[in-house]
Amino acid sequence: MTVDDFLRLRDPRSRRDFFRLAGLTTVGGSAAFLAACGGDDEDETTAQSGGNEDTGGGEGDAKILNGALDLENTALAAYTAGAALLKGDALAVGKQFLGHEQEHADGITQAIKDLGGTPNKAKSADEYAQGFPSLKSQKDVINFAIDLENMAVAAYIDAIPKLTSGQLRQTGAAIVSNEAEHVSVLLGALRPSDAARQVPDAFVTGKKA
Amino acid sequence: MSDQIIRDGDVDTAVIAEYEQSRRDLMRKGLVVGGAVIAATSIPFFLKARNAMAQADDDAAILEAAVGLEQMAVFAYTAAAKSGKLGKASAVATLFAKQEQEHADGLIQALESLGGKAPAKPTKVEDVDGLAEAAGGDATDILEFAVDLETSAVGAYYDAHGKLKAPELLSTGASIMANEAQHLVVLRQALKQNPSPDAFVTGGKG
Repeated sequence: MTVDDFLRLRDPRSRRDFFRLAGLTTVGGSAAFLAACGGDDEDETTAQSGGNEDTGGGEGDAKILNGALDLENTALAAYTAGAALLKGDALAVGKQFLGHEQEHADGITQAIKDLGGTPNKAKSADEYAQGFPSLKSQKDVINFAIDLENMAVAAYIDAIPKLTSGQLRQTGAAIVSNEAEHVSVLLGALRPSDAARQVPDAFVTGKKA
Repeated sequence: MSDQIIRDGDVDTAVIAEYEQSRRDLMRKGLVVGGAVIAATSIPFFLKARNAMAQADDDAAILEAAVGLEQMAVFAYTAAAKSGKLGKASAVATLFAKQEQEHADGLIQALESLGGKAPAKPTKVEDVDGLAEAAGGDATDILEFAVDLETSAVGAYYDAHGKLKAPELLSTGASIMANEAQHLVVLRQALKQNPSPDAFVTGGKG
């Protein structure tokens, strides 16, 4: 995947194309996550609009969580790979966010086990790196991180209504809010004196307006 | 120092217990001193609002409580922006007031589609517990009040995700909760605090 391919993700309409383009070997299980969520087509998303009774989780929830775990493992690989290009405050932020993503991955792994599922294994650093754009500067890393975090936000927003466990929906909301925080911090790192740009939309969907 | 307790508890749920635990923790750290009893009347409005959402048992009731919370936030940010005490942050308060209004508008539309009716908006500073005190202080007092407000909003939406049933409301609620979390980033940075302290954003005080 090229940088242009990745930047094309800024267009929300291309997000699904990205999953097709990237496949499981490039961004972990984002495609699986989307598939487990029932896709992001409008018709599929609204198919469950009749209500969402809490059934305490199950096989479907475990499948969705495994997709989320793949996304978290991708983020871990990205922050790890990008750390070498970060300095000072940006490096400290990168390390903190790496810790957050690890906490997400650990929590999701445990939840999958609690549901009787088998957590997907992370791929090697090289396999993840093959799907990343060329990173040559701190700015490249921050922009890449913003795109990854926005993608995670979009994926969790899609996934939350499909989880049947109320507790897991709460956990998903807690994670997506943390990813949204990351986006704001990273946007602030690009434009330190422009706080308004850190919170561009009242409804955070991970999709560019 | 003896632990404080809540009395006159018309809002004595787990939410308030969490608030109380937080105060105990702060007291152990020497950050809070004061009397031995927290009266329900001294519990900030936003904790009451979060409590209202936690106690709501259907989508319409949750939406009604959420609208009330958003309307409080609109009023508070508008007052903060007009206070003349925030300097450059005044523009941020204006932006946040606009975004809270967008939340309220969207939630009211959803509420009305379920046959509900929006609660009355606050019309004076006294309608929002704690706002007059914050507005009477300096910029730090106002920003800290906003942090508490947003933290409670995040907590309210977090609670709601365990109860909401309509898928579209779950998605909308998550997108609003994420926006409130982004507000917290800007507010914490203005206060020179860690902008994203927790991996799981629940509105907890611990």
